[in-house]
Amino acid sequence: MLQVENVLKSYDKNEVVRGITFGVHKGESFGLLGPNGAGKSTTIGMISGIITPDKGEIKVDGLSIKKNALDIKRKIGVVPQEIALYPTLSAKDNLMFWGKMYGLTRNEAIKRANEVLEYVGLSERAKEKIETFSGGMKRRVNIGASLMHKPELLIMDEPTVGIDPQSRNHILETVKELNKNGMTIIYTSHYMEEVEFLCNRIGIIDKGKMIALGTKKDLFQRLAEGTVIKVGVNKLDELFLNKVKEIDEVGKVIPRPEDLTIEIFVTNHQKVVGEIITLAVQANVNVHSLEVNEPNLESLFLSLTGRSLRD
Amino acid sequence: MKKSLLIAWKDFTIRVKDRKGFVTLLLTPLLLTAILGFALNSVMGGEGGFPETKVGVFVSDDDDLAEAFVSDVLPTIVFVKIKESKSEEELRELLTEGKVDVGILFPKEWSSGVNQGILKSVTLLEKPDQRTKTAVIESMLKSYSEQVQIHAVTTLTVMNDLSASVTASTSEINMKQVASEIQLELQSISGGELKEASIGEKNVGSMQYYAAAMAVMFLMFNMTLGAKSFLQERTTETLKRLSMTPTGKASILLGKFLGTLFFSFIQFIVFFGATSTFFKVDWGSNLYQVITVGFCYSFAVSGLSMTIAAFVKEEKTTDVISSIGIQILAILGGSMLPIYLFPEGLKTIASVTPNKWALTSFLDIMSGTTWSELFPAISILLLLGFITLALGTWKLKTN
Ligand SMILES: Nc1ncnc2c1ncn2[C@@H]1O[C@H](COP(=O)(O)OP(=O)(O)O)[C@@H](O)[C@H]1O
Ligand SMILES: [Mg+2]
Repeated sequence: MLQVENVLKSYDKNEVVRGITFGVHKGESFGLLGPNGAGKSTTIGMISGIITPDKGEIKVDGLSIKKNALDIKRKIGVVPQEIALYPTLSAKDNLMFWGKMYGLTRNEAIKRANEVLEYVGLSERAKEKIETFSGGMKRRVNIGASLMHKPELLIMDEPTVGIDPQSRNHILETVKELNKNGMTIIYTSHYMEEVEFLCNRIGIIDKGKMIALGTKKDLFQRLAEGTVIKVGVNKLDELFLNKVKEIDEVGKVIPRPEDLTIEIFVTNHQKVVGEIITLAVQANVNVHSLEVNEPNLESLFLSLTGRSLRD
Repeated sequence: MKKSLLIAWKDFTIRVKDRKGFVTLLLTPLLLTAILGFALNSVMGGEGGFPETKVGVFVSDDDDLAEAFVSDVLPTIVFVKIKESKSEEELRELLTEGKVDVGILFPKEWSSGVNQGILKSVTLLEKPDQRTKTAVIESMLKSYSEQVQIHAVTTLTVMNDLSASVTASTSEINMKQVASEIQLELQSISGGELKEASIGEKNVGSMQYYAAAMAVMFLMFNMTLGAKSFLQERTTETLKRLSMTPTGKASILLGKFLGTLFFSFIQFIVFFGATSTFFKVDWGSNLYQVITVGFCYSFAVSGLSMTIAAFVKEEKTTDVISSIGIQILAILGGSMLPIYLFPEGLKTIASVTPNKWALTSFLDIMSGTTWSELFPAISILLLLGFITLALGTWKLKTN
């Protein structure tokens, strides 16, 4: 459905997207995860045809964005990061306007606007001006506007930023359902949980580069290998450290004298924890704390970049 | 094109729904027209648009045609007050004392050669600070002389054909007809200076003047309103969203232009309708001319809005432009004070403002004018609209 090949974009000398490649299959829900400023919006801008890449190629259903921009634009719906609506027009008028901009006739637009309002749960407020809406309701209309023309591919750029949990859940459920009904989705976020909840395949992007790409399963596999057990001890005993290193499932062992802890990289922590405790007792080392970093995308991001996602 | 119209219509509805905008763009000008129109009625000399002109005349002998000019022709011009002097010296005295603005000295036997198509030259006594008034009287005189000569000669020819014994005399000349022909002619002779002096068939009253002036001034706000609407779409990212739809850049920009044009024109029509209905303002006898000039001016204003949108980055700047820039243009273009009261230098500067061209055209229409006389103003407005539209869209497209 979508093929992004080695796209590059820089502003002045600032390289914002530095050679990103990924593909999205029909019916898939693809997550693009990365911290603020990673280049997510820029990538989406290039796919939606409003930013011209300096290099690389983007294809939708085999059509090139360079030659068939208008055809591609008809196939995709983009939910921008900002609330791009007319505040003094009603929700319904906004939806109808955007629908007509995608070629819907007046009657089609009316019918579809009612459907979409129903879908995003705002039928009762159809006639009210957008400026009277709460942040969450605006977000929902913002999404609705991109659904008017029933796009084959829906690209959402951080659609849940700055809203209440209730609206957020509503949106996530809506997206899940859209995907279930066959719509291909690209979902951008810097919230781990959202991407984990919605997407089967995930790309992690940082500083304009794709640093990890694969199915959720693939990524967790890699993660499991990167699990860290942090052990707090009363002394850094050489013998104990060497014994720990000899365990099959243990990779690197890093002693930290500054706070008397040991970081132990393991592939299967359930099996290893017991053994470590046993070895400690044998070596007469007191273990006063033990912390296992649960595998999730957050820790994967941490292990890949050394930084937390929310920085 | 369909997409452009969609965008234009969307902009139109947004502007109509904006209460504050509605008040500034329609109620305020109506109110100001009423206030200024009534308040300045006396200052502007009631009926007449042109300031009162005191003309001193001395006729050296009993020249019939000279007397006819003084008693039959001059008084038909409303703003002229006549003072007959007994001698040349008295006339010069009146002039230096400022009791008259212009002096006319008819020489002895001024029209004795009229049958041969000859008239002696008339001396015009001029005060340096009364140039405009002198110019008006001079063109009247010139026009009268020409008319009289033509009539005398044609009458003579006709009479000669009928009966060789009858010679032409002043009695064969219909002064009423001459007077009205002169008035007509004055419009074309008088040129730029007198355009706003409203010496058409009808005079322009103060209410009419301010109706036109306010229409022109408040339509100017569409320049900044249009630009602002564009900048707003940029900050709220609806512009980005518009470019994500299958719509070409040119269509989007055209849509923004058409939205402003559409609104300006409707605003004009509503204002025109309201002033005609409620204030009984007479916009002249030619409705098509009024609508054409209204449209061309809206076109120019909308073009300018695109140029402003292209060169201004911040919405705040457009506010400054609308509060200060438009006022300057309004003053220069005669929306505050009639242009004919301006000193010469300012009059020249006034010609670079689009509102001046619209205002003078409306005043001309009110006093009665022809399409060919409106042609320069219409062309200038359309040209300005096209150039600024092209410049604005070109700059916005390349951004
Ligand atoms: N039009 C632009 N001009 C200059 N720099 C830009 C522009 N757009 C984005 N950037 C920069 O590119 C980087 C990536 O931005 P963006 O794609 O919006 O990131 P994200 O959506 O992942 O938060 C940021 O550092 C941002 O400042
Ligand atoms: Mg972003």
